[in-house]
Amino acid sequence: MTTTTAAPRRRRVPRTGRTGTYASGVLAWGYAALLLIPFYYFIISSFKDNEQIFTDPLGLPTSLSLDNFAEAISSADLDRAVINSILVTGCALVLTLLLAVPASFALARATGRAGRVIERVFALGFLIPTFAALFPTFLLAAATGLFHTRTFIIFLLPATAMPLAVVILTQFMRAVPRELEEAASMDGASPSMVLRHVYLPICIPGVATVVLLNFLSFWNEYLYSLIIIGPDPAQRTIQVALPTLKLTTGTDYGVLMAGTLFTLLPVYLVYTLLQRQMQRALLAGAVKG
Amino acid sequence: MATVLQPRATRPAAPASLSRTPVKERFPGMALPGLVWYALFTIGPVIAMFVVALLRWPGMLITPTFAGAGNFSTVFNDPVFWDAVRNSAVQLGVGLPVMIVLAFLLAYYVVQRPRGHRTLRYLLFIPALISAPAAALVFYSLLNPDGLLNGVLGMVGLPDERAWLADPATALPSLIALDLWAGIGYSAVLLAARLDSVDEAVVQAAHLDGAGSLRVAWGIYWPIARDFVGVVAMLQFLSILFNSAQNVLLLTRGGPGTETTTLSYLIYQKAFLEADLGYSQAVGVVLFVLGLLGMLTIRRSLRATH
Repeated sequence: MTTTTAAPRRRRVPRTGRTGTYASGVLAWGYAALLLIPFYYFIISSFKDNEQIFTDPLGLPTSLSLDNFAEAISSADLDRAVINSILVTGCALVLTLLLAVPASFALARATGRAGRVIERVFALGFLIPTFAALFPTFLLAAATGLFHTRTFIIFLLPATAMPLAVVILTQFMRAVPRELEEAASMDGASPSMVLRHVYLPICIPGVATVVLLNFLSFWNEYLYSLIIIGPDPAQRTIQVALPTLKLTTGTDYGVLMAGTLFTLLPVYLVYTLLQRQMQRALLAGAVKG
Repeated sequence: MATVLQPRATRPAAPASLSRTPVKERFPGMALPGLVWYALFTIGPVIAMFVVALLRWPGMLITPTFAGAGNFSTVFNDPVFWDAVRNSAVQLGVGLPVMIVLAFLLAYYVVQRPRGHRTLRYLLFIPALISAPAAALVFYSLLNPDGLLNGVLGMVGLPDERAWLADPATALPSLIALDLWAGIGYSAVLLAARLDSVDEAVVQAAHLDGAGSLRVAWGIYWPIARDFVGVVAMLQFLSILFNSAQNVLLLTRGGPGTETTTLSYLIYQKAFLEADLGYSQAVGVVLFVLGLLGMLTIRRSLRATH
C-alpha cells in the first residue's frame, strides 16, 4: 500500500490512501465507460447499414441520413406508440394524484385508529411482491372487459404507485403548520378547500417528487403492458412496440438502434432538464421503499 | 379491517353546519378511494394467485377443478422447476453481492469529490432511466454474433464467433452482466446520497491520525451506510428475483434448453405460453414466499444496531 512514489502534494490524502483511491477511480471511470460506449455505438450505428456496422463497429458514420430512424418509426409504428405512451403515462399520473393527494391529506390529519391502520396498510404495500400476480391481473383485465386496451393499464399503474405516493405525500402534509389550517377553518373553509388552498400549495415539492418518480416507472413499464395491452399498434405503448423491431426488421441493426434511441429521447429530455429534481425524486422513492 | 367499523361513530358529525369543521378528523374518509383502488388492483390479484395455485386449470377455456396441493407436488417433482431455482439462485448469489460491493466502492469514490465527480454522478444515473426493453436491446446488439463484443474481439485478434446469448456457457452470465450493468450505477447513486451525510471533519481527523482510505471506508463510512446498504440490497434483490422475467423474455426466452429459465420467467412461460395456469401460480406462490423470506433475511442481517 505504501509503495506509491509520487510525493504527496495534497496533505489531505495520506500516502497510504492513494492506492485505494486510484483503484476505485479506475473502477468508477471504467464503469462509466461501460455505460457510455454502448451509447456511442448506438448513435453511430443509427447512421450506418449492416455492412458498415460489422466491418467497422466503432468508426464514425459516413453519412448523417435519417433513413434508419424513418424506417424504425414506420415499421414498428413508433410514432403512434409514443402518443399511446404519453396518453397512458399522463392519465395514470393524474389518476395517481387524484387518489393519493386526498388520501395523504386525510391520513396526515387523522387522529383515530383507522388512520393508523390505513397508513400501515400502505406502508406494508412495499413488502408485497406483486409481480408474481401477473396472471390474476390479466384475469381481472379480462373480467372487466378492458383486456387489450390502454384503459386497464391506466387504471392499474396508479394502484401500483399508491403505497409510495401516499407515504411520501403524507410526510409532506404532516409538515404543514396547523395554525394555517385553523385560520382557514375559522373562516369557514371546508376540508376540500383547506386541501386545495392551504395544503396543496405547500406540498408542491412532494407532488413533484411523486410525479417524477412515477413518470419514469409508468413510461418504462413493460411486462404488464405487453400482456394486457397486447400487440395492437393502435393501443400499445412504446416499450411494447420497441422489441417488435427485432422481429419486423429482421437483423437490420441500424434500424434497431435508431428505434431504441428514439424511445430514449423523451426520458433523456426530461432528465437533462430536471436532473436534480429527478435524482431527488428517485432517492426519495428508494429511501421510503 | 377496523376501517369498516369506524365510520358509524363519526357519521353524525358530518353535516358541516352543526359545528366548525374539526381541525383533525377521526376517520380519514378521503383515504378510502385510494385504499379501495389499491386493494382491488394489487391485493386482489395476490389473493387470487393463492386460489389459482390450488386449481387444476390446463388452459383459459377449460373450467378449472380443485386440485388441492396437486400443483405443488407437480412443481416440486418437475426438474425444470429445480433448474429455475438453480438459475435464480446463481443469478442472485453472484449478481447481488458483486453489485452491492462495487456500488459501495463507487459511492465511496464519488463522495470524496474527486475531479469529475459531477459528471460521474450524472452518468451513474443513466441505467435508472432506461427501460427493460431498451437495456435488453443494448445487450442484444452487444452480444449477438454480429455484435460489438465480437467485433472488438475480432479487431484484437481473439476468437469472435461466440453466440453469447445462445451458448449454454455464457447465456446466464450474460443476463447477470445485464443486471450488474443496470444495477450498479443506480445503487451507487443511492449509497452516495447516504454517504454524503458523513461528517467531513471526522474523516479528516481520521486521515490525520494516519488512517488509510480503506480504514476510513470500513471504519467510518460503512457503519453509517450499513442499514442503507440493506435497503439497497433489498430493492435489488426484489428487482432481480421478480424482474428477470422481462430480460429473459427479451433476450433468451429461457434457453438454450433451460439454461436461463428463472423462477419469474417460469411463471410467465407456464401461464402465457404453455397455459398451465395452476402450475404457473403455484410457482408464483413459491416466488412470493421466497421474496418475503429474502427481504426479511436481508433486513435482519444488515439492520443497524440502534
